Amino acid sequence: MEIAVVGQLEFTLGFQLAGVKNLYNPSDDEELAELLRDLLGQEEIGVVVVDNFDLVRLPERLRVQLSESVTPTVLGIGTEEDNTLRESIKSALGVDLWK
Amino acid sequence: MALDIKPTRSELINLKRRIKQTSTGYNLLKMKRDGLFHEFRTLLSEMIEAREGLVGTYRDALQAINLASSIEGGLAVKSAAIASSKHPEVQVSKRNIMGVVVPKVEGQNLKLSVEDRGLGMVGGSPYIDEAADAYSLLVEKVVKAAEMEATLKRLLEEIEATKRRVNALEFKVIPEMKEAQTFIQLRLEEMEREETFRLKRFKNK
Repeated sequence: MEIAVVGQLEFTLGFQLAGVKNLYNPSDDEELAELLRDLLGQEEIGVVVVDNFDLVRLPERLRVQLSESVTPTVLGIGTEEDNTLRESIKSALGVDLWK
Repeated sequence: MALDIKPTRSELINLKRRIKQTSTGYNLLKMKRDGLFHEFRTLLSEMIEAREGLVGTYRDALQAINLASSIEGGLAVKSAAIASSKHPEVQVSKRNIMGVVVPKVEGQNLKLSVEDRGLGMVGGSPYIDEAADAYSLLVEKVVKAAEMEATLKRLLEEIEATKRRVNALEFKVIPEMKEAQTFIQLRLEEMEREETFRLKRFKNK
């Protein structure tokens, strides 16, 4: 399985330097949402890395879909910490265990 | 529910057996829920550490690539990025945690050597190499975090489902069966009293 990286050119460049081949640079939010939906259905992709700045701009429903997906696992990274997993733990268990 | 059942002795025996079975199932499910929760807590503390490490590594990698771009130029970094011959892959297998199948993600070719980057010893630059190393380390951490995140999500789903089952058994199924049992017992006692009364009246005649 492969690793896919989605984001602006500056975000994906570093991953390309590390050898990642599946790089996607969507030009607008609609293209980004469409691309992520498409990646969720691809069996050869194991991990999808997305810029956190892009993740927060996505529609709520797609964000939930991405956070619940196991194969591929969608991981948001950025200079700030991503709180989607923390939120899903909070809503599932009723307590905030992320401490 | 109590009104739908036949107040017979065989029904009462069946019901008692079902209550016993359901209670055993309820206890087992409760133990499973607690076990999953324990496993979840252990993994969660590891995940928090991994997440914090990921943010730190990403910041370092960003700094390294910005430095490389400003010293060597954006074009040199881009051409170095295109040159690499190998690419990292992930192998997803399955493992079992208390009956929950979770993915096990293993990375291959996560760290590229200088030869694999395709630039050679002369064509490269220490700044670009440093940026590539930083991003290789980031990819390694991404793979580890992805595995843990997927495992946590699966465990979370299973905990939620088990919690729902336990609650349904505790607050709906078992109380309803016990209510039915009481109904049958009362009805049988009533029928016994009626029978005794009828016999008494018959004897008096």
